[in-house]
Amino acid sequence: MADETGLDNLPEATVVRKKRLRFSVIWIIPILAAAVAIGIAIQRARSEGPVITIEFKSASGIEAGKTFIKYKDVRIGLVSAVELSEDYSKVLVKAKIAKHSAGLMVEDAKFWVVEPRISLSGVSGLSTLLSGNYIGFQAGKSAEDQRNFRGLDDPPTIKDQPGRRFVLKARELGSLGTGDPVYYRGLQVGQVAAAILVADGKSIEITLFVDAPYDKFVTAETRFWNASGIDVTVGADGVNVRTESFASLLAGGIAFDAPDFLATSAPAAENSHFPLYRNRSIAMKQPDPIERRFVLHFNESVRGLSIGAPVTLYGLRVGEVTQVWLHFDAAAKVFRPRVLITFFPDLLIARMTARQQVDNAKSLQALDAAGRLRLLRQSVEERGLRAQLKTGSFLTGELYVAFEYIPNAPKAKIDWSQDPLELPVVPGGFANIEAKLSSILTKVDNMPLNAIGVEVKDALATLNQTLKDADTLVNRIDAKLVPEGTRTLEDLRKAIGSADRVLTNTDSTLFGKDSPAPQDLRDTLQEVTRAARSVRVLVDYLERHPEMLIRGKAEEKR
Amino acid sequence: MTVAAVTAAQAGLLSCEACQMLSRPAGKGEPAYCRRCGEKLEFRHHGSIQKTWALVIAAAICYFPANLLPVLNTTTLGTSEADTILQGVAFLYVSGSWPLALVVLIASVMIPVGKLVVLVYLLVTVQRGSVTSNRERTRLYRLVEIIGRWSMLDVFVVTFTVAMVQLQPLMSVSPGAGVLFFAAVVVLTMLAAEVFDPRLIWDSAYPHQDRHG
Repeated sequence: MADETGLDNLPEATVVRKKRLRFSVIWIIPILAAAVAIGIAIQRARSEGPVITIEFKSASGIEAGKTFIKYKDVRIGLVSAVELSEDYSKVLVKAKIAKHSAGLMVEDAKFWVVEPRISLSGVSGLSTLLSGNYIGFQAGKSAEDQRNFRGLDDPPTIKDQPGRRFVLKARELGSLGTGDPVYYRGLQVGQVAAAILVADGKSIEITLFVDAPYDKFVTAETRFWNASGIDVTVGADGVNVRTESFASLLAGGIAFDAPDFLATSAPAAENSHFPLYRNRSIAMKQPDPIERRFVLHFNESVRGLSIGAPVTLYGLRVGEVTQVWLHFDAAAKVFRPRVLITFFPDLLIARMTARQQVDNAKSLQALDAAGRLRLLRQSVEERGLRAQLKTGSFLTGELYVAFEYIPNAPKAKIDWSQDPLELPVVPGGFANIEAKLSSILTKVDNMPLNAIGVEVKDALATLNQTLKDADTLVNRIDAKLVPEGTRTLEDLRKAIGSADRVLTNTDSTLFGKDSPAPQDLRDTLQEVTRAARSVRVLVDYLERHPEMLIRGKAEEKR
Repeated sequence: MTVAAVTAAQAGLLSCEACQMLSRPAGKGEPAYCRRCGEKLEFRHHGSIQKTWALVIAAAICYFPANLLPVLNTTTLGTSEADTILQGVAFLYVSGSWPLALVVLIASVMIPVGKLVVLVYLLVTVQRGSVTSNRERTRLYRLVEIIGRWSMLDVFVVTFTVAMVQLQPLMSVSPGAGVLFFAAVVVLTMLAAEVFDPRLIWDSAYPHQDRHG
């Protein structure tokens, strides 16, 4: 495009390309993405709790990324790795704990593997059949943070629930085991928490846990006994079968109760120690704080008298036999059975009525040792308190010791300074019967049987004569009295015949055909009938015309 | 290989991306449209490189949560399990179906990564004005464009599974946060590929060119 003006030769304006500094709006996208991603990362990091390591003996059913740690059925952690320890003897389970539960990871927290358990006393952890095993958790009380834990082999039986622990001491564990039920009057109120051998190896210490509302029934006086299986006692009391429940029959357990004869006392302190008795009857009759021991020397066989056999007063139980053994009497050079009995004054008091109990307990407690001795001496010497062996059951031959007041008992020589005191005995039970039988036999033996025989013979002869006389007498009566009687009867018959005739005559006189009386009677009766008819007519008329009584009979209208 | 040809832009002409018709540009600064098909005409996409970069970076950021967060929460009989894509791949491989594992691995892990890598490579080479292997780079670009839509497979699978497997209380499946990021990765890379102007690849071969529309 040439021009004369040479405009073409004008220089071109310089175009300064503005460097684009303005960022495109599209950069919001990566910024947004970054913000979201960073936000999620921060949230993750913040919610990340601590990683803990739990040591287990075996990792049964524990899988990394699948097994949860649950506390009160809430997931508080997830197993992140399952490894073997350096010496390959243990399993180390690493778990990530949720941030909110980090505070739970303290020193005495407990972990265990929850798996289905089927035992005689129950089925637990059934939910794990479907969901797989999980790690159970129990919070601790400590404030110290901890990251390495040792897992329990068995779930702790005691969950963190209100209640109290008690320790029982037993000679042997028997069929008891951890988790076994504890019964109170047949109701399950707790569990056996642990059973450990005491350091000296001579006894077992059983820790049990009694749940909250029931733990107050455990008092200082409470007796615990082994409720495992059936308790069959064959004693002088007869056969006694007891069991707490069907479950305890199979699985065992511990039961407790306080004896009725003791006043209820305050609940026992936590971790109180109690003895564990073999069965209920032993538990309930174990020595009370107050007990008195006495020795009895019998002169007869004590076979059938077992330890624990009752000691009765008037047939009521007041104590028990503690020991039975032989004693050599050096002075007399004879062996005699020696029986040690224990007397429980509390049992005696328990037999009284409530008011008496208070009064008597007071008065008995007021007595000192000497006073008690005096009371006993009085009973023995003046009132004849004696012990004797009696048969409790003829079936089993069990014996028991019975105290009775025998007023005319032979005097007993007693050394009142002895301890334990020896009390006088009288033969009793079988021995007594035997003595009586033999005395009867002796008497029978001493009878003059021959002389009696002769006399009896004489008596029989006399009797024979007497009978003969009687016979004669009867014959005589027969011969003399019978004809006389016949004649009398004849006369009587004649008399009756006459009377009969008289009566017939009278009859015909009064009612005969020709007699006047009936005719008159008939006439009279006809008269009466007529009169009655008139009266009836009158009455009829009166009924229709009652005014007639005042106005007279009205004229008949025509 | 150098092709001695004049580009439309060099000739001061606009080529339609849809129907390939050449037109002369209208007044400066005014948006131009193809007379034949109505497509918007530009010498080169406006801010193409910048936009592509932004989208690629966004996709790269989303790629991490997409793989770290679970895509599927399966609840079977009370046990809840959250799986990420890689866990799913590992599970498939361990349980013996390695072909399936391979498919998932390629479709869900390798392709998004590949797309990002290709786009970054294209962007860097274009910005550095590389003149070599232009044809290969164009081919790569085409591959990215074609492949892009297939990456949504995973997202579809998750959606279908969640919709169908609702056997409460026996089993139930719910989507995880990962699937959201995964979908974002796929969408962002597709957009990035869309925004990127492949014509830029060739511009460097003709250095003295005004390629700003």
